[in-house]
Amino acid sequence: MSETITIEVNGKTLSAQAGEMLIAVTDANEIDIPRFCYHKKLSIAANCRMCLVEVEKAPKALPACATPVMDGMKVWTRSPSALAAQQATMEFLLINHPLDCPICDQGGECELQDVSVAYGSDKSQYVEAKRIVFDKNIGPLISTDLTRCIQCTRCVRFGAEIAGMRELGMIGRGDRESIATFAGQCVTSELSGNVVDVCPVGALTMKPSRYKARAWEVIQHAAIAAHDSVGSNVYHHTFTQQVMRTVPSENDAVNECWISDRDRFSYEGLYSDERLTQPMLKKRGEWHVVTWDEALETTAKILNEANKDQTGVLASANATLEELYLLQKSMRAIGIDHIDHRVRQTDFSGQNAAPLAPSLGVSLEDLEKQDAVLLIGSNIRYEQPMANHRLRKASLQNAKIMTLNPYHIEFNYDTTEQSVSSVAEMLSNLAAIAKAAGVELTHFSNIEVDEQTQNIATYLKEADQALLLLGNLATQHPAYADLCALAQLIAEKTGATLGYLPEAANTAGAWLAGVVPHRQAAAQAVQTMGKSAQEILTDSTKTFVLLGLEAEFDTDNPQKSIQALAQADNVIAINSYVNPRLKEYATVLLPASQTVETSGTFVNMEGRLQSFKGVSKLLGDARPTWKILRVLGNLLDVDGFDYMSSEDVRNELKVKLEQTNAYQAEASPEAKPMDIASSPVSEHSFHRIGTVQMYSGDSLLRRAIALQQAAGDERRRVTLHPDDIARLDLGDEQTVSVAQGDSSVRMSLVADSAIPIHSALLPSATQKSVELGSAFGMIQITKG
Amino acid sequence: MISTLKHYVKTFTLFELLQGLSVTGKYFFKKKITIQYPEQKTPMSPRFRGHHALRRYDNGEERCIACKLCEATCPALAIKIESEEREDGTRRTTRYDIDMFKCIYCGFCEEACPVDAIVETRVFEYHFESREGSIITKDELLAFGDKHETQIAKDRAVEAAYR
Amino acid sequence: MPEIRNFTLNFGPAHPAAHGVLRLILEMDGEVIQRADPHIGLLHRGTEKLAESKIYSQSIGYMDRLDYVSMMCNEHGYILAIEKMLGIQAPIRAQYIRTMFDEVTRILNHLLWIGAHALDVGAMTMFLYAFREREDLMDVYEAVSGARLHASYYRVGGVYRDLPDEMPKYEQNRWNNAADVKRLNGDREGSLLDFLESFTQRFPNYVDEYETLLTDNRIWKQRLVDIGVVSPERAKQLGFTGAMLRGSGVEWDLRKKQPYAAYDRVKFDIPIGTNGDSYDRYLVRIEEMRQSNQIIKQCIDWLRKNPGDVSLDDHKVTMPKRDSVKGDMESLIHHFKLVTEGFCLPEGEAYAAIEHPKGEFGCYIVSDGANKPFRLKIRAPGFAHVSAMDEMTKGHMLADVVTIIGTQDIVFGEVDR
Repeated sequence: MSETITIEVNGKTLSAQAGEMLIAVTDANEIDIPRFCYHKKLSIAANCRMCLVEVEKAPKALPACATPVMDGMKVWTRSPSALAAQQATMEFLLINHPLDCPICDQGGECELQDVSVAYGSDKSQYVEAKRIVFDKNIGPLISTDLTRCIQCTRCVRFGAEIAGMRELGMIGRGDRESIATFAGQCVTSELSGNVVDVCPVGALTMKPSRYKARAWEVIQHAAIAAHDSVGSNVYHHTFTQQVMRTVPSENDAVNECWISDRDRFSYEGLYSDERLTQPMLKKRGEWHVVTWDEALETTAKILNEANKDQTGVLASANATLEELYLLQKSMRAIGIDHIDHRVRQTDFSGQNAAPLAPSLGVSLEDLEKQDAVLLIGSNIRYEQPMANHRLRKASLQNAKIMTLNPYHIEFNYDTTEQSVSSVAEMLSNLAAIAKAAGVELTHFSNIEVDEQTQNIATYLKEADQALLLLGNLATQHPAYADLCALAQLIAEKTGATLGYLPEAANTAGAWLAGVVPHRQAAAQAVQTMGKSAQEILTDSTKTFVLLGLEAEFDTDNPQKSIQALAQADNVIAINSYVNPRLKEYATVLLPASQTVETSGTFVNMEGRLQSFKGVSKLLGDARPTWKILRVLGNLLDVDGFDYMSSEDVRNELKVKLEQTNAYQAEASPEAKPMDIASSPVSEHSFHRIGTVQMYSGDSLLRRAIALQQAAGDERRRVTLHPDDIARLDLGDEQTVSVAQGDSSVRMSLVADSAIPIHSALLPSATQKSVELGSAFGMIQITKG
Repeated sequence: MISTLKHYVKTFTLFELLQGLSVTGKYFFKKKITIQYPEQKTPMSPRFRGHHALRRYDNGEERCIACKLCEATCPALAIKIESEEREDGTRRTTRYDIDMFKCIYCGFCEEACPVDAIVETRVFEYHFESREGSIITKDELLAFGDKHETQIAKDRAVEAAYR
Repeated sequence: MPEIRNFTLNFGPAHPAAHGVLRLILEMDGEVIQRADPHIGLLHRGTEKLAESKIYSQSIGYMDRLDYVSMMCNEHGYILAIEKMLGIQAPIRAQYIRTMFDEVTRILNHLLWIGAHALDVGAMTMFLYAFREREDLMDVYEAVSGARLHASYYRVGGVYRDLPDEMPKYEQNRWNNAADVKRLNGDREGSLLDFLESFTQRFPNYVDEYETLLTDNRIWKQRLVDIGVVSPERAKQLGFTGAMLRGSGVEWDLRKKQPYAAYDRVKFDIPIGTNGDSYDRYLVRIEEMRQSNQIIKQCIDWLRKNPGDVSLDDHKVTMPKRDSVKGDMESLIHHFKLVTEGFCLPEGEAYAAIEHPKGEFGCYIVSDGANKPFRLKIRAPGFAHVSAMDEMTKGHMLADVVTIIGTQDIVFGEVDR
């Protein structure tokens, strides 16, 4: 603890910690000092000179952001010399500022305007020509007007310190000084949108909402971001009841003051042409727009008449807690047990050993205090950008971040060890770590511990706070149960915490709400064991209920899923989007809400329940999903479906959850080696790494235009190791033929040595991958 | 005594009433000050605040840049603007409606406009044939501006010194 | 024996002799008023509440619409309260302009009052003469502000624009030949001040004419003398202000007692009555018109000699000049911010009042430091006057109610707010 001292500001005595910067002390005591370059989360640059204040015994005014406090220091922030210094600085800053206010999106919420009115002069003495800086195209998310830049370098420091990528930099000197990207590249960081927030002027603004609304005419609504399980707190700004933009809401326990680009720009998908706006029924192969009454009655009739054992219910984990709870409650009440949300998972053998809900094990804030973290099958940077930010902070404090992944991943910080192996070998590598940590294994007897695995085990053991995290690549791994079991053993042996990185905004909520076949809400026991998602998506299911899912994108094996859905008699899709494939296999389409349009609750990776309200107007005849499910429950004559609000639903579940605080999962089954061939069957066979790219995770993201442009073409390509390309002589091929199961597609080829030999990175949830099979199966790559 | 007598005389001769009648009688022979509206009109100040118009630059480009200052300053919330980026990258309105029933003709919109796009013209005689007709759209405002541009420009030139 | 009881008469709100939307419930014993109960609120528009959601400058236009026959005076009261809180004073030229236009407004108001009052009492012609003079003054209004009634001309820290150097002129057409036009434009050849000066030269003669028509007229006197007598003590107790108070013989005028604008720099007298009846109030108002005319003349002289700024050169509060908005950054920012957010008043409260044609018009502003008033209370003189309706009419005949309404000079825009 540093020493507490007292200083005097404007005649008021304040206490401060020695070494603190003056501006931090005045901020804490609500004394206003103007600033542009200072930002509490960024390093100190002291280059805008706006925060000049008078300090006793200092001959000239000093910048408050770079002046450490000293005991007995006397400061005046509004004395004549301080005001003169501030006014002079403001005048200099405005010399080269263009007269853009009327056309600048920042107008009305611009720090430059505010400070100019509060501290600047009301007249200009400058008559010479102003400088012009040409704008640069730095991608589809951020638009630049660099003439407006006041060289505060907040964006540069954000890139270097928070995003971990020095994408923006300052070039030139004097009045030629300007912000630029390296060799004219785009800004690609997954957090890039935050530079718009840190920019005090209108030099960097959001491209998708460019010129659409003024700061004073939008209405701010607090909400929870819906694209990862961090549950970032955001504000949606609506204009004419439509979301115009999304900005972070400060919550130091969750997302600090940042959000990912995905959460920021996904709202664009709300206004896609593919929104489903009217209830529709397929009658004799033709789609008819019908009334809600007819649609819901037909749905109830289908469900009542269906063979319950041949009926499967699949829900998206992006649905709210209330929706998921109502769905499973009504379906179980009429005898449908086959209900699941784990549509990308393939190995369910360990499901009884799963905890109440997947959770991080520690709080998000504690994530940055870890000393050693082993990421098992996780590209956390793109899966959970804000959680990755915490890891980055940990890494900067010398935490050892280690990974076990099917390919080498570029992190925005230094990793201590990256164990890269094919999908199949991941398991044995984890076993090796277990062995190195001293776990007794009955199987995996002949496993060898190399230096890297030994290091990982040692670091985990030595760390005060160690954490094992299972990510999406682990969850979707063909031997997920074994990975879990091994991870648990390692955790026990090394004293580390075992945590999960739930994939979607409400994955944890789906577990709690009982949208799993083996547990009811709040982990109450089921009467009959239901089928898992993978078993539901087979030909034996004749009636499907899909909540917010586009099966071709959202399931592990699109080929199989589409086949299963196509043969079904009835497919009831409660969705906010419709696409041609959905129209082919569905028979009932019920237009539902997106997260921003409904009230609800998400459970984040820490187990934090965060409720939100609907902010945007529903399109057409669409209804909030929980209301659709509530009315459906009434039509199905289910008891206890007289909720008046989504809060009623949440409270009912909350009561149940309180009763199951001390849930004990079964012990994990013993880990066994994978029985799939560890080496490819032919020289053209590859282990597919079917990751879900950052901007294709859910229906909304896939329709967010700017994000799709930002995502680029990478995800539509297949990436191989250069050696593999050379071996198969694909070197000069632009495109290759990729076959999986019965079908094949032509894709362009990229070489990248980050991919292990005999593995191929071929992302899921793309237009190409829809034709293919399991995301982590084997694929054949041939010329042509 | 004399004043009482005077008073009686005046009372009985209806003196003060006749005095009053002489005033009205005098005006009977004077030139009338009434004018033949609508054919004939009284002079009008170049500051007059009447029907709104949107102006264009000489090259035909609309002046309005969708800054929404007029919308923000309008005390009666009579202006409704929606904007977006036009294909050439400029900021433009997609909607510019003025509800003439809400408008209080205070002239703040014209004061706020940084590019002299929205102006209040001398035109005060107009009517609507339906309730919705009171909402003047962007196209109508631009057309109105085109029609009266000569007068608008003249008035702004006269007033330039005072603003 | 039939039951004898008072007859209740509903007077207004659409009665031709009830000003605006006044509604009186009259309890009458035969033709004698026993009780008069004014019902107000039919013109309530929530101006005070409305102001709470608007930045300070946006409410100026709504002040015009309070007492819609003395527009600029209302603005003056509001602006003065804001300036008091900000601790600023408009430039001296603006102060003179405000003084001049307050008096123009007073004449406008009294002209309307005398026209309507005489019309109610039965003298039709007065209305036509009064409106003839009003026409000239409205031209003056239009020339400076662009609107003939709802001027929104006063601004915090000054006025909207300086007085124009040219008056709009009649043009030659089918009905007016060159000689006609020349005659019509006779006093329009010079500046606004010239036009107004020629008016001030004509106006005393007009007032003489009004007096010839009314002052000694026996019918007028029969209808006004000893009607609605209010003693000085009672007038003070009832909260009367303006001509209503002075008619009762109380020498009270804010222009003298608490001088604002340039009233301490001009010479004028305060007329007072002796009997406190409607006739005295009539005489007071007539004299006020003459005094106003004098003040206008003095302002014209001063304004001719002293050109200068009409708005404070502090763009934290007043709008920057148009040229500089287009040319320099600071001005543009201040213009932008003033238009969208306005200025903030320091935390606190202030009451400022002016001598409005009808009495004391005051604005009480409570500010929480924001750019919108936390509370705005408008003290409208007419409200106190209409409240005395019962006391003033009691025992009079029904026809006298009309006289009393006229003498009170009520405008419902301010009473109902």
